[in-house]
Parts: sequence; structure tokens; C-alpha cells
Amino acid sequence: MAPSANVEGELAPAQDIESSEKPLENGAKEQVVPATSEDITAPKGKAKTANGAQQKGKPSEGSKDGKPSGKELKEKAKAEKAARRAQQKGRQPGQQGQPIVDLGPEKQKNADTRRPSVAGPAPTTKIQHKRTGSASGGAQKPIQFRPVQAHAAPISEEPPKENKNVALFDHLYGNPRRNTVAGASKDVHPAVLALGLQMRNYMICGSSARCVATMLAFKRVIEAYITPPQNSLPRHLTTHLSSQIDYIVSCRPLSISMGNAIRWLKVKISEVDVTTEESEAKADLCNAIDSFITEKITVADQVIARRGIEKIRDGDVILTYAKSSIVQQTLVEAFRQGRKFKVIVVDSRPLFEGKNLARALTDLGLEAQYSLTHGISHVIKDATKVFLGAHAMMSNGRLYSRVGTALVAMTAKEADVPVIVCCESIKYTEKVALDSFVHNEVAPPEELITQGETSSPLSKWLDVPNLQLLNLMYDLTPAEYISMVIDESGYLPPSSVPFMQRLSLNT
Amino acid sequence: MPGSTGILAPGLTTFKRSVRSKGVSVESSIDNLISLLKRRQIRDSRPCAIATAHLLRRVVETFKITDISRLIDRVQQIGQRLISAQPRELTTGNIVRRVLGVIREEVEEDREGEISGYSDAGTDSRPQTPREQDSRAPDYSALFPRSLTSSLLRHGEMDSKLEEIGDGRPQRPPLLTSQTSYAVTNTAPTVTSMFSLLSHPRSNVPSPTATPGSQSPGIHLSLTSQALANAGAVKDLKAEVVEGIQEILEELNQADDQIAGYALEHIHSNEVILTHTSSVTVQKFLLKAAARRKFTVVHAEAYPNNHEATHASVIGKAKGEPDDDLGSEVFQKTLTAAGVTVVLVPDSAVFALMSRVNKVILDTHAVLVNGDIVAAAGAKAIAKAAKLHCTPVVVLSGVYKLSPVYPFDPDALMENGDPSKVISYEDGDFVDKVEIENPLFDYVPVELVSLYITNLGGHAPSYLHCIIDDHYCAEDVDLDKSNAYR
Repeated sequence: MAPSANVEGELAPAQDIESSEKPLENGAKEQVVPATSEDITAPKGKAKTANGAQQKGKPSEGSKDGKPSGKELKEKAKAEKAARRAQQKGRQPGQQGQPIVDLGPEKQKNADTRRPSVAGPAPTTKIQHKRTGSASGGAQKPIQFRPVQAHAAPISEEPPKENKNVALFDHLYGNPRRNTVAGASKDVHPAVLALGLQMRNYMICGSSARCVATMLAFKRVIEAYITPPQNSLPRHLTTHLSSQIDYIVSCRPLSISMGNAIRWLKVKISEVDVTTEESEAKADLCNAIDSFITEKITVADQVIARRGIEKIRDGDVILTYAKSSIVQQTLVEAFRQGRKFKVIVVDSRPLFEGKNLARALTDLGLEAQYSLTHGISHVIKDATKVFLGAHAMMSNGRLYSRVGTALVAMTAKEADVPVIVCCESIKYTEKVALDSFVHNEVAPPEELITQGETSSPLSKWLDVPNLQLLNLMYDLTPAEYISMVIDESGYLPPSSVPFMQRLSLNT
Repeated sequence: MPGSTGILAPGLTTFKRSVRSKGVSVESSIDNLISLLKRRQIRDSRPCAIATAHLLRRVVETFKITDISRLIDRVQQIGQRLISAQPRELTTGNIVRRVLGVIREEVEEDREGEISGYSDAGTDSRPQTPREQDSRAPDYSALFPRSLTSSLLRHGEMDSKLEEIGDGRPQRPPLLTSQTSYAVTNTAPTVTSMFSLLSHPRSNVPSPTATPGSQSPGIHLSLTSQALANAGAVKDLKAEVVEGIQEILEELNQADDQIAGYALEHIHSNEVILTHTSSVTVQKFLLKAAARRKFTVVHAEAYPNNHEATHASVIGKAKGEPDDDLGSEVFQKTLTAAGVTVVLVPDSAVFALMSRVNKVILDTHAVLVNGDIVAAAGAKAIAKAAKLHCTPVVVLSGVYKLSPVYPFDPDALMENGDPSKVISYEDGDFVDKVEIENPLFDYVPVELVSLYITNLGGHAPSYLHCIIDDHYCAEDVDLDKSNAYR
């Protein structure tokens, strides 16, 4: 683990997090906290020095020959860039291979075992099911996890030569996602530090799973929180939380459900009476968070699953897209209740979430068919119902979900197959959108590079001028493709979503 | 036994080499192509078309013509074998039909020449020896016992009819002649071909409405003797047929460039063009426009069947298969190098992007007579999404891909690919339990297509059948079923 070269220096922070989290699952929480922070600060320096050395190298090289003409300078820059590329490429396989091979199965175990411990008092079975779903469920699937090493480092050290952002989505590009905990504010709680990276690497993925994980992490933040002197808890805790949220956003933008939950939490905090004892107030908040999770997600999921099962008849062929925890729960429950049906999972690049769903279902003994987006117009012929999960439901009744959902819903509509969306009310938002450009998330384009046994031609994409890779996360499905939305209050048409959203705000 | 060189992996190049070499008999070349088609070592429209044309040229060259109708039978016979070897490659059948058309046309021209009196008939005809007939086509006479006289009569009538429809049969340079022929013959031929479209190709022969050729029945009746056919300048005829096939081959080579010639009409500055899979035709089309205009191309990668080629095409590395003669010319220049912004996206993002796309340009595997197309899997969803956003869908297709086949059973044209591309066999336990679907093609109905661009120009979907009528003799349409009728 001791970083011997630059390469490892960049790797170190992430690995340290991993290693430092292993004790965490053993339950030695108190000890872990300081250990993590130490580990975190140590590599920060190293990374900095590494960067510094590289940066120093550049100007000295450039200034060697007295007055280079503009053209020469350009050529020089080009050559330099090529050399840097070559160097990077040389180390990339090692970087990518190492964490995947080493940490792959180990990480799985971590993920599985850690979760219950984090889950706290909420009913563990539910939480476990929900949250293991997106990350675990198979032996090895290297594609699922983004390589932990730094992609952003090479990008940031490069002269911003060509803007690789797709112009159409320029408004959606934020800062490049954070790769390490280095540089995070010192206020950020270790649980949040870890959570941010887990979200970034899609280990915690899916709207409700991220929401639950965030709330649990914030519970620990509140537990560890001590109001500074001359401050009151309702005032200061909100700002303290904000720095945590900033960190999470820098890892991956918040999901709609997270936004809703955080808004709720902030209201709760501001409602705390200044005169209450701090410990009491904290306990109240923690209880409120627990009951929030139970009510809005755990129980809501059970209710939705029960309603969903009613829509599954014997002999049905259920088509679903990618992986939604609530759809998975519905299908599994229906299977447990003895319904006889078949599932078609349609999946897409680059996350291949559906593979985990299909694997989980076939492991149970369900009959499943698996295809990718390209086969949608073929597999829809066999389907009798389409079940979709949601990232969010917009106020104009449109479904905001994993990119590709709209294609599936469109194809289903054309084939006269009913499209049923399972969505907890926490995912309703008052935002409206007409197309996928309004709200979206652009994931790092490097994820699109196929990691086969042979190196993909795309690995050189940064060198090709005018070439852009676009890795959208979500798309917007028009309301007319959706036959029905199931939420915890019942079956509704998509046009009722804004009313339900208002109702859910009032409760 | 099939005379492949054994150095390269068997494919189009090796086949072309072996079919040219004198040492390989025609029969073994036929067998070779059939097995290549069956093993899918020659696949996709263009390679199949090229291979078929090369084979048929060899067949015609080596055929000892004593009687032209025997050559037609022979080509039909080979065509049936090729089609049954790989019924999903419709271009094979298309090329066979066009070669048949060439032969019929030559016969017709020859005959007309005789009538007008300047024939060089009989100067060089080979004596019709029974030995030759037996050795070359032993079974065919048995298979097709119809009388030569009647067949000649029928061909004559048919040909004269089709000739009036627009002498748009294959051997002329496609672009020029069809336009001129239309200019000359005006609207009447369109009407005729509409009639003939509805009627059965066989039954329409005697029908008076469909035969403008009935104005000259006397000529044909005077021609019906076998002697006359034999007396025709057989060798010249053969040379002309070979020349006709050569022109088909040239058309195959030029089609993409000719299609690209229409690019500037359809792509304008600052447009956003969406395309799907890697295709030389589309690539050339866009490159041609890129020389003059700046636009953006959104390229869906067609995972998992064609994404490697798509990636290679946007990056600019030539495909790793030098065994195709496509390989050398493919992707010599990338769109990005031509100054076009290329955005590579996964297939799933198509719907999200469609609201900003101005035009969808699709390559196709085959175009059927009603305008439906068989294209790479995923194309239907893309076309549908385009339709919903009122984005025009333009299909690029060489005329050789237009097939006179009516899709009574579209599923028969579909094909499934390698499931390990979807889930690799490393996931053994998972593969055991799950059913994997990896279709290669999508069937895109004509309603989703706004425009077809062939090497003859742009066509409305409803107009396609006219082009098909121009290029294929009505007699040859149900080529693969001709056995059943006799």
C-alpha cells in the first residue's frame, strides 16, 4: 500500500479509504473515525507533490530554446501532450486492472457486510435488499464499478486545449467529479466522505438507495455534531450540513429524492426549539430521520410492491429496463407469492445495471430474458407489461429515469403494452421539464470506453479533435407513454403527479 | 476443394481470387460461394452482391451458349441455390435477377437487330452438340422441361413490355439512363408499372392492359423458332452479357460515391445529424457534405454488434479486417478530420437527443418492394423516436439493395447474433440461467422513413416500386419459387 511511485500516489487515497473502511464494518466505529482522517490527510500531500513535480517539469522544458516561434511552441506542446498520453496509457492498464482485480470481490463483501451496520435501526431486511441490489449480486463485474483511480488528474493537468463538452449539454457540465477525498473541507464527516466516493463509483446507485444512504450518513453527522459555543443548533447545524452536502455534490450531483429529503431535514432542524437540550434535540432529529426513512422509503416500497403485485397475472411477461430496486422488490415478492410470470430485462451501456437485476432474479429461479437496448423492438413483442422505476417524476407528469427508459416506454406504447411506473412519493418534484436537456446529469465520458481484453480504439478519444463522447445519465419520458404510476397512495395517471406532490409536501 | 488460397481467412477477397483463377471449375466456385454464404463468411449486402456478380460473370463466361434460354435457366438455377443458401441476404437474389434481366435484354436487342436486318447472325455460333449440353447442364433440361418456343415467346413479350416501361434495366449506367428514359417516356410507363404491380407477374403477361408490347405481336411471333435463337450472335451476346455484369459490378463500386453526390442537397450548415452503426455509405455521404458545410453528427454506437467498428470509424482507425476489399477504402478519412463535430453516444441516449436532431440518416441492409427496410438492430427504435419528434429519417441505399421481395413474413428476414456479445461466457453461471437475445437486424416499416436516397437520387417511399420495376424483370421476381410453379 505504501506509495512508491507517482502512480501509486494518486491511487493511494482511494485505497486508503477502502482499507480504512474494513474496520468500520467490524463495528469499531469510534476508532475508525480518526484513523480515516489520518489516512486521508496523508496522501493529500503526496498527491500535491506529485502534481507539483509534473507541473514544474513542463515550464522548464518549454523555456529551453530561447525564443521559439508560435509554430514551434505548438508543435512542442503537441509532442509533449503525446508523450504524456503515452505515459498515461502505459500506466492506465495497471491502474485500472489493479483496483478491479484486487478489490472486486473484496469490495463486494465490504458492500454487503457494511450496509446492515450502517443501516441502523431501520428494518434491516428491507434496507439490505434495497441497497445491496445496485451494487452486489454477482461474482465479478468489472464494468459496474468505475476504476477508482484518478481520471480527473490527467484532465486537470492538461492545458485546456479543446473543449470536449458536448455543446448541447454545456449547461449540464459542472466541475469534474471528485475522485479523492483530498481537498475536502475538514468539516466533512468521514461517513459522508466515504458515501461521496461510493456514490461516485456507483457502489451506491439508484435514487432511493442514495437517499437512504445520505440520510443515514447525516444521522451520523448529527450524532457526532457538537454545537460550537455562541451558536445555536438550529442555526449552525444547517450550515454544517451544507458543507457535507457540498462535498457530496462534488462527488456526484444530488438526486431529486436526496434533494427532497435534505429539504425536509433542514426544515426539521430549523423547527428545533432553541431551548431544547442539545442531546435531546439530536436524538429527536435522529429519530425523525429514522422514521422518515421508514415511512417514505421502506414502508412505501412495501406498499408499492404490494400494489404492483396485483398487476402481475399468471402468464405475464414483464419487461423492465435497467435496474430499479422497487421493481426488483415487486418482482421478487410476486414470485414469492407464487405468480407465474417471465421477466425480460433490457439493459444498456455503460452501467449494465440490468445485469444485476437479471442475475438476482435468475438466482431466485425466475425465468428471465436479457437483452440490450438494440433488441427492444424485438423483445417488446413478447412482453405483456412494462414495469419501470423512476429517478423522479416531474410535475408535468413526465418520468425522469435512467437514459433509455424513454425508448422502452415509446416502444411499449407503440406495441400497446401498458407501461407501469413504480415511484415513491419522495421522488416527486415540483420541477418541470419538456425534454431531457432541462435537467440531466452528464457522467464522465471515460465510462463509455469499453474495457475488453483488447484495448478499445476509444481510449485515444481525447487526442481526436472534434470528437466528443456523451454519457448521459437520464432521459425524460413523455407522460403519454405512461399508463399508470404506482405510488404508496395508490394507482394514478401521470397527470396526477403534481397533486400528489403537493400532498406529499403537506404531510 | 473450393480453390481458396488458404492464406487468408475465407471471405470475399479469397473468393474473388478463386473465382477468377482458371484452375477452379465453375461448379466448385458455386459450391464455394454457397458454403461461404452459409458459414456467414461473406455477409452484408455489398460483399454478397459483389460475390454473386463475380460468380455469375464466371458462369456466363464459361457457359457454352448454344441456346440463350439455357443460360437463363442455368443462372436461375444457380440463383436459387444461392438464395436458399442464405435467404436473408436479399442482395444475392437481387444481383441474380439483374443478371437475368441483362441476359433477357441482350436477347431482345439481338432479336431486334435481326429484324431490322443488320444482324451478324450465324457467323460465329457454335454447333449445338449434345455432349456440351450434357456436360454443362445435365439436370436443368430435366428440371425445366418447358418448351423453348413458348419460353422465347414469353420472354419476347415480357421484354418488349418492360422495355417500354423504361428501358431501365441493369446494364446501363444507372443514374443517367434512368433519368433520360423517364424524360423520354413520360408518365405512361409509371401507370403501366402501377398496373403490373398489382397483377401477378405471370398472369399479367397476356393481360391487354399491361402489355403495351402487344402493338408488335407480329414481330415476336415471327421470332419464335429455336433456329433463330441459335442463329443469334451467340458469342457477341455472351460478351455483352459479361459486359452487362461488369457494369453491375461497377455500379456496386460506385453506388456509395453516387449516393454521396446528393449529400449537399440534404445536409446544411449547423444541422445536427444522427446516424447509427458504422457504414461506409453514410460515412461517405457525410464526408461529402463535410467538405462544404459545418455540422454536427451524433453517432449512436450500435452496441454490441457493431460498436467496435463504429468506434474505429470515429477514431479513424481502419477496420482490422484486410480480407474485405472494403477494408482498404473504408474510413480513410474520418468525419472529425473533416471538421465535423462527432458526438459518440450509447444507443440509449437517442431519445434524449432526438429533440435537437435535424435529420436521421440510416444505412440499410435491404429495402423491400413496399419500402420497408431491414437495418441494423436498434434502427427501428431510432426511426420511431425520430417520427415522434417529427425528425425526417433518410435511408441511404444503393439500388442493388432494393429487393423486389414482398415481406409477407418480416420475421423471416431477421437474424440473431452472437449472444456472447451481450453477456460473455465468462459469466457462466448466469448464462446458464438466462435467455439472451441479440438481434442483428430491425425491421423498419416504411411509415417511419421520410426519404430514400439511392444512387439514382432521392425518392419518396411510395415511388420505390417504380425503381424496382425498372431494374428487375417481372418474370424474375419470384426467383426462388420458380421451381414450385413448374
